[in-house]
This record gives sequence, structure tokens and C-alpha cells, in this order.
Amino acid sequence: MIRRILDFVLILLFVWVCMILGLWVIDRIIVPMQLPRVADGLLTGMVKISVSAGLVLFWLWLWREIVKKMFWRAMDKQ
Amino acid sequence: MLAELAVFAVGLTASVATMPLVMKKMTEKGIGGPDVHKKDRPFVPEMGGLAVLAGTTVSVVAMVLLLPEVLSVAASFLGSTLIAGLIGALDDFKSLNAKVKPVLTLLAGLPLLVLHTYNPMGLVFPFIGQTRMTIIYPFLIPVILAVTSNAVNMMDPFNGTMSGACTIITIIMLLSALLLGRSEALILCLCLLGPLLAFFYFNKFPSKVFSGDVGSLSIGAALGAIAIIGRLEVVAVVALMPQIMNAFYGLSSMGRLYERREVSRPVAILEDGRITATKDPKAPITLARMVLARGPLREDEAARIFFILAAISGVLAFATACLIMVTT
Repeated sequence: MIRRILDFVLILLFVWVCMILGLWVIDRIIVPMQLPRVADGLLTGMVKISVSAGLVLFWLWLWREIVKKMFWRAMDKQ
Repeated sequence: MLAELAVFAVGLTASVATMPLVMKKMTEKGIGGPDVHKKDRPFVPEMGGLAVLAGTTVSVVAMVLLLPEVLSVAASFLGSTLIAGLIGALDDFKSLNAKVKPVLTLLAGLPLLVLHTYNPMGLVFPFIGQTRMTIIYPFLIPVILAVTSNAVNMMDPFNGTMSGACTIITIIMLLSALLLGRSEALILCLCLLGPLLAFFYFNKFPSKVFSGDVGSLSIGAALGAIAIIGRLEVVAVVALMPQIMNAFYGLSSMGRLYERREVSRPVAILEDGRITATKDPKAPITLARMVLARGPLREDEAARIFFILAAISGVLAFATACLIMVTT
């Protein structure tokens, strides 16, 4: 029972820590970022949004892969 | 404080009083179904969510009588909850298409938009603080309501899991509202908590009544409305993580929106009455299937794991509220 719960606790913690860390990265690194030799505010804004969206998509992909691997490994053991 | 306690007590009493009536009427009309995770598959009446709606309506009316200054907040909260409940009732009587239901639940966001009971600046994040999403945020509101209502609706695999998990989430949102000084969210949580506790009493293992979509969609919409009105969106996302995980796993493993009736069952019942995860690669990877991947469990044991997960994500949600308070 404990092992079963621990699997989910680890996933929940991973998802939560990634979310908090991601927010921190967006706030402290991506938002203040200035592109060299680019003065256009709109272009800089679009780059920042794209990088942030990429980060979110990577987080979701990683989450899905971990869960899939965890599930089928547990099923194989069973 | 007395008004808040009265609102809670009125909602609880109204739901406790109406639930036996709903159960009797539904049994008489044959509205219900077999409890598929029991060996003898007993008949259980559905649409117990109607009593939750009745209790919530009564507690909101009591709130308006005791605190008239919250009229627009009360109207938008109740409006969103009732619209989602109506869509749920429609689905209970006439099964809606897997794509139509989420689209219809977008309508639950209308009362919040019309009565303007949301933070016009947008979301509040830990570290980042108050964002400026004045244009995008109104468009996000119906999406938030559709996500919360459908995520709650998708995670009701075992007796009492939806009602128990949502009770825990409401308590966590209440504590977060208290911590962050969001008085409107606090009283709305109390409006919902009474009916939810009453419903959990009847819905816990072994269930005497099921919520039906009328209950699950309206409870999900109510939680979403509290999050928006009380500026607790990020806290709600973390508290609802098991529901979101369940929806995300299901949708990403199937690659499309689906109805339970259309796909292979993710779990099956064994000869000894325990529940096990199926090995069918075409079945969605739901949270219930993942919980059972390490071996079969009795239904009450599986339901207990769901409550533990809701409590853990609740602790993380409260930690998020603390981060919002400290870092912004």
C-alpha cells in the first residue's frame, strides 16, 4: 500500500516542484530577457511567450512519459 | 462568524433533508444503475447531486439574507453551479456526445462574466504575483469552469471518491482563503462544504446513492467559480491535481476526448470481489487503473488511496497559498 501511494506522491511532488520552478524561471529569467540586437518589443514579447510555452509543453511531455513508463512497468511486474 | 456558520449549517441540513427524497424518487422512477464494482451488482439510485444543488441553493440564499453586500458574488456562483448542473442533468437523461459536453460546460462561465465577479487583472501566481491579463483572462474564465467541471466529472471511479476528494479540496480552499484573507471565497466554500459533507455521508463506500453528472459537473463548476471569485486559481489547480492528472492521463493515452461508454474498461472485477487494472492496451490510462497497476485492491482500499492523494495535493495547494502570501 505504501509503495503504491509513494509512486503518486513522487509524481505529485515532481509536477508541483516543476510548476513552482517553472514559474520562478519565467519570472526571473525569461521575462527580464533582452534579445541582443533586437529592439522590437513585439518580437521580444513573442519570443518570450514561445519560450515559456515550450517550457510548459516540455513539462507536460515529461510528465506523460514518466507516468506511462511507471504504469507499464508496474503492470509487467504484476 | 455567526453568519458563516449559519450558512454552513443551513446547506448541510437542507442536503441531509432532501437526499432521502431524491433517493426515493430516483428508485421509484428506476433512474440509477448497477454498482459495477460489487460482485452482486446492486441497484443504486443516481442523480444524488440534485440534493447537493438544493443544499447549495439554500445556503446561498441564506448567505444573501445574512450578508446582502455579497449579492452579485452569490448570484454568479449559484448561476455557474446551476448551469453546470443543468448540463449534467441533460447528460444523465440523454447521454451527450464526448465533444458536446465540454463545449456546453463553457456556458457555466457566463454568470461570472456577466456579473463581473472576477479579478479584472487576471491570475495571481507565486513569485510573479498579480499578472496583467486584462484581455485574455475573461476568455479563460469559461475554459477554467469547463476544465474543473469535466475533470471532477471524469474522476468518480469508486464509491465516494468524487465526493470525498471534493470535500477535501473545499476544506483546503477554505483554509487558503482564510490565510490569504479572501472573505468571499471563504463563505462560498462554506456554502458548498455543508452539502458536500451530506452527500459524502450517503455516497461513501458502500454507496447508497450516486451523484450523476448533475452532481459531478455542478460540484466541479462550483469549485472553479470559487477559485475565480476568490482569486485562488493556482491554489485550486494544485488542489485539483489528482483530477487533472486523471483527465490528462486518460486523454493523452487515448489521444482524443472520449466517453466512458465508448472505450474499453480500464478496470475489472475479480472472482474474489477485488478490482484489478486491465491489460488492454486500448483502455485509457486513468488514475484508477494506475492505482491498481501494482495489484488488485478492494474497492474501499482503492477509494482510500484516492483520499490520501487528495490530502497530499491539498497540502501542496496550501503550501502554494503560503508561497503566494510570502512571495507576492
